[in-house]
Amino acid sequence: MTVQPAAAEIAISMTAISKRFGPVQALHDADLQVARGTIHGLVGQNGAGKSTIIKVLAGILKPDSGTITVNGETVGPLTPSSVERLGVHFIHQDRLLVPTATVGEAVFLRHELGFGPFVSRRSMNRHAAELLKRYFNLELPAGILVQDLTTAQQKIVQITRALAQKASVLVLDEPTAALVKREVDSLFAVLRRLRDDGIAVIFISHYMQEIEQLCDRVTVMRNGTDVGTVDPAETPIDEIIAMMIARDVGEMFPKRSVEIGAPMLEVSHLGMAGSFEDISFSVRRGEIVGLTGLLGSGAKEIVQCLFGLERAERGSIMVEGKTLSLSSPVHAVRGGIAMLPEDRRAHGVAIDLSVRENISLASLGRYSGRGFVKRGLENQAIDGLIRELSIKTPGRDTLVRQLSGGNQQKVAIAKWLSCQSRVYILDEPTVAVDVGAKVEIYNLLNRLAGEGAAILLLSSDLLELVGVCDRVLVVYRGRLSGEFSGADLDGDRLLAASSGARGPKAEASS
Amino acid sequence: MSVSQDTRATGAQKIGGFIASYSVVITFLAICLFFAMASPTFLTGANLYNVLVNNVVMLAIVALGLTIVISSGGIDLSVGVSVDMASMVFVMLLAAGYGGVFGVTVGLLAAVAVGVLNAILITRLKISPFLATLGVLFIGQSTQQLATSGGQPIYLITGYAGAQFNAIARTSLLGVPMPVLVLVACIVVVYLLLHRSVFGRAVQAMGAQPGVAWYSGLAVPRQLSLVYIGCALLCGITGILLSATVKSYVPLSGNAFLLDAIGATFIGTTLSAERRPTVIGTLLGVLLLAVVKNGLLLIGWNFYWQQVGIGVLVFLVLAVSFGLRRARQ
Repeated sequence: MTVQPAAAEIAISMTAISKRFGPVQALHDADLQVARGTIHGLVGQNGAGKSTIIKVLAGILKPDSGTITVNGETVGPLTPSSVERLGVHFIHQDRLLVPTATVGEAVFLRHELGFGPFVSRRSMNRHAAELLKRYFNLELPAGILVQDLTTAQQKIVQITRALAQKASVLVLDEPTAALVKREVDSLFAVLRRLRDDGIAVIFISHYMQEIEQLCDRVTVMRNGTDVGTVDPAETPIDEIIAMMIARDVGEMFPKRSVEIGAPMLEVSHLGMAGSFEDISFSVRRGEIVGLTGLLGSGAKEIVQCLFGLERAERGSIMVEGKTLSLSSPVHAVRGGIAMLPEDRRAHGVAIDLSVRENISLASLGRYSGRGFVKRGLENQAIDGLIRELSIKTPGRDTLVRQLSGGNQQKVAIAKWLSCQSRVYILDEPTVAVDVGAKVEIYNLLNRLAGEGAAILLLSSDLLELVGVCDRVLVVYRGRLSGEFSGADLDGDRLLAASSGARGPKAEASS
Repeated sequence: MSVSQDTRATGAQKIGGFIASYSVVITFLAICLFFAMASPTFLTGANLYNVLVNNVVMLAIVALGLTIVISSGGIDLSVGVSVDMASMVFVMLLAAGYGGVFGVTVGLLAAVAVGVLNAILITRLKISPFLATLGVLFIGQSTQQLATSGGQPIYLITGYAGAQFNAIARTSLLGVPMPVLVLVACIVVVYLLLHRSVFGRAVQAMGAQPGVAWYSGLAVPRQLSLVYIGCALLCGITGILLSATVKSYVPLSGNAFLLDAIGATFIGTTLSAERRPTVIGTLLGVLLLAVVKNGLLLIGWNFYWQQVGIGVLVFLVLAVSFGLRRARQ
């Protein structure tokens, strides 16, 4: 299955790269060979090790073992600046340009043109304009600032910066996530031209169609290692998807049998311009429903509307038959909705507050009288929850900062248990959580469902969705593109529906 | 608070930890000792009474207000304006012959109005607390100058108004001067609010991680409004006490409290292992500043050198506390 390029053409060779973060083996003996003059796709599920291996190449992470050669030369420990000197340039997913810089300043960042210590903004802008015209036939107003460019133009400015530094390898991480179709096409034309000029392009994407359209080779990663490198012209997408998904679900996902009851959360015809339209579904008592979709598909925005973080323009949300007006999380929490946010440190737990202060934060009303906290009552409840969820903490007054990621997540969950919420929305609850804690979190979800809660699990981990959920809804480009349950619920179908590949449901809706 | 997580901490580490946690207390005692030896008048009852009533009470009440604001993760640069507004309205009303109770009430409402303005700017217009209160500071200063034909003080030393002032500043209950009683009341109320109430928990959460407070369903805008209004009200109380003590309204005199109050609050955070502002910490910070000012005066340093002394002191407390804490980790 694996296609190997001849040694002389190799631009990047990464061999036997391993990297461990605490208990998590992020990369295990991973290889990546990229030839000159090719566009090389890198695919895999979240957590498969794509971004870790790219960060190793970028010099952001130091591998525990393994060797890297660039253009045939073995290189020592890499740093972000030494990598650039070797001609390897990165276009990261989030724009990393200074918003108030001019195009010229952005293109020549860290390689400013000018005289001695003085930079000449005018000559930089002029040279940048020449490069943009030469490579991309793109003319921008003189002196325009980066923040006034479209996302696609910003990507092009970033690529131009790489070209101005004589890049021989260009790495693009999800470059099309925020682009419209026309912009994607022009970006692809640019990448093909660079390939024809002999540049090696590494292209990371979740969109299978793009991989099929653009790439000459694709390396598939799974569980921290490469499981094969294939030519997408010869290998069907379904086969690539099958390579991405491990078949053995194993004992990760505890079995459960829960009586599923009446609808608890009912969403009808929810819509928000530019994000999603006509979203209707319900989650019943005791049911765990998965929601998945690629970045920018609208899945995330739907969940934010359900918790009042964003306001839907159309449609209604009901909890236990009562319509909620969700203009802020205050109403959502009052209506019995709990939210376990993806960014745990920004939104889930306050790491500088104690375990106790965090857990009781959403339910202080239960532990107080006349506006004052009854510490005895609070302590008793908190100790109970710490025991119940087996949160590993020296005590209730320990700062959350001192707990491990998994235990911090349990504190965030305990906050809602204390609140006796009825609908739980979980946004990527097991990201950056080690395997042991993952299983505990899955057990906890099962228990919550068993106690009659309705659970909506937003996740991009297909294994998790298949293993934990009764039913999974897939969002593709702002619409529900599929619903899978029972025997239909498998990773291949989910991935196909969420990446717009020809799946039975996706075809019907497009 | 600083229960050593490492049970095998050596004796030296334990002592270091103790000094780090209580650096404010230790510095305070050391400075008191120094001044007691350097100046025979320092430890006299009359001097300590003077320090308490004239230097501690008013600054402490403003600092308590700032403690709430800083706990919520914000800052209020307009505390001086709140002090002045209360003082100005109170004195003007007395000058116009209105009753004392009426004057105090409306004076406090004037301060509250400043807090409401801050709250609107911060929670509705989403201006950062620093810029919002800086704007209010400028506007408040000009307002005072416009209302007093360019900053003319209003003196009401004798007669009806003087009696009203004396009723506030010069009476005592069971031998405790009225301003001290007011301070004690403020301490109790702010302590209960900040460290014992549901409101206080919300304030601490907003200060520690505003996103978490919002995602926990707390009514963040309303709580923040109360924070700034509460701070302004406390400043208003100081404004009333100030007018009554000096029997006049001097425009822009409230600004003198701003930097000292910020300093006291931050010095106070060294008392807490999590570096949070606390009521007790703030009070110690106020005492420290007041004692240093008074002591330097007694040993003959002039006003300008006092500022240098206070600056050095702030560095000293922070350096000792941070340095030892880092050494311990």
